[in-house]
Amino acid sequence: MLPIDRFAWTNRWSSHHPGERMLLAGGLLILTLVLPPVSTAPLVLITMTAATVLGAGVPVSAFIRALAVPAGFLLAGLPFIVLSLDLDGAPSLVVSAEGARMALEVGLRSLAAMSCLVGLSLTTPASELIPWLRRVGVPQAVLEIALLMYRLLFVVAARATAGREAQEARLGYTSFGRSVRSLGLLTAALLSRSLARARRLEIGLAARGFEGELRVLSRPRALSPRRLATAGATLLAVGVGGLSLSQVLA
Amino acid sequence: MHIMEGFLPPLHAAAWTVVAAPFLVIGARRIARITREQPQAKLLLASAGAFAFVLSALKLPSVTGSCSHPTGTGLGAILFGPSVMAVLGAIVLLFQALLLAHGGLTTLGANIFSMAIVGPWVAYGCFRVARPMGLGIAVFLAAMLGDLATYTVTTGQLALAFPDPASGYAGAITKFGGIFALTQIPLAVIEGLLTVVVVNLLVRYSGEDLDGVGFEHRLDTAGEAAR
Repeated sequence: MLPIDRFAWTNRWSSHHPGERMLLAGGLLILTLVLPPVSTAPLVLITMTAATVLGAGVPVSAFIRALAVPAGFLLAGLPFIVLSLDLDGAPSLVVSAEGARMALEVGLRSLAAMSCLVGLSLTTPASELIPWLRRVGVPQAVLEIALLMYRLLFVVAARATAGREAQEARLGYTSFGRSVRSLGLLTAALLSRSLARARRLEIGLAARGFEGELRVLSRPRALSPRRLATAGATLLAVGVGGLSLSQVLA
Repeated sequence: MHIMEGFLPPLHAAAWTVVAAPFLVIGARRIARITREQPQAKLLLASAGAFAFVLSALKLPSVTGSCSHPTGTGLGAILFGPSVMAVLGAIVLLFQALLLAHGGLTTLGANIFSMAIVGPWVAYGCFRVARPMGLGIAVFLAAMLGDLATYTVTTGQLALAFPDPASGYAGAITKFGGIFALTQIPLAVIEGLLTVVVVNLLVRYSGEDLDGVGFEHRLDTAGEAAR
């Protein structure tokens, strides 16, 4: 159900310290937002694609597929920025140069930012990113809930898929009325199953002396100074490249 | 209605994060207190969150043939209460960005504000106000108006970020609002109907789960008893 997660666990970089990937993707994301987009965004897009595909060994088809859905939404949204609505007199839609420039900038910036997000999530499992939220002041209890949620959501998702298939096999989605009814049944069943599962987990953990902390083993991984330096140098190169390119263009 | 990664200018992205922050801090404090008093509530909250994530990934039946997903905002707010829902919703939005590339990290604050804060609060308010008119009507209005409130906020966020070159903010609101009105109002009605079906089924077959409709309420009383 979630192909991004599969690659996050199996790519070539999954044995490295997640901080290295966060530095690269997070740094590029910030550069994309603050530097002039027309010159910087293409550089970020190329760098992030190369890092994910050539560096981490994620198949290029997976990268494109992950990017395709949000990019499709982006393409659908841009015309509304290009078109401008004139309210003086009879309302009319016109294409303005200002609108076109804005759409180009937003489109490029958004596409480059998406590549950073997709690159990061294809190489790093969500469960390794969440603990870092501690540093921005998210309370421990909320992080533990998020980590538990990550572990449970695949179980719920598998149930949802199975339920949906069973309903479809019984012609549950052949008309609009039936679809609403079937989806309602599925949702209600999923909710009561989820709560029942939580109660069983409660009992099971209470029997094992649960006192509010779930500890899991994680592989110790050291930050590699060489890879950190490479990521830093890449960021610097993209930043300087984006700035100088924008001066050439201007 | 997710605003995608990188779509908002950096200043707007930061400003919406600041706006969303106090609600999240209050929700997080509440969750921290609840889980300190009852450690096992973590499991309940995590299950509820996992359910909310999966619900938002299910496809909604549609009349026009386009495909869309329920927001689950109304159901979540009715079942779990809006302040807990803010935090659960924020985590769900984070997972949607990381696991589905839906929404984004820089636009997380804006999306949390529209979908995990305004939507649930409006839904909860409607539910409380319309409750005397009957359960079905209250649930329908809560889910539908919660969705519409979310779309309205998203429209405002987009209009503020991209004022129309010719007609300014008014033009931008008309423009984005027009698109949402055409595409999202039918979806809000469908989600309203769906939520009524769900709550009716829960009332009929899983009464003990709905004592947890009490979720919020039950945790509250448990907290007071512990004190």
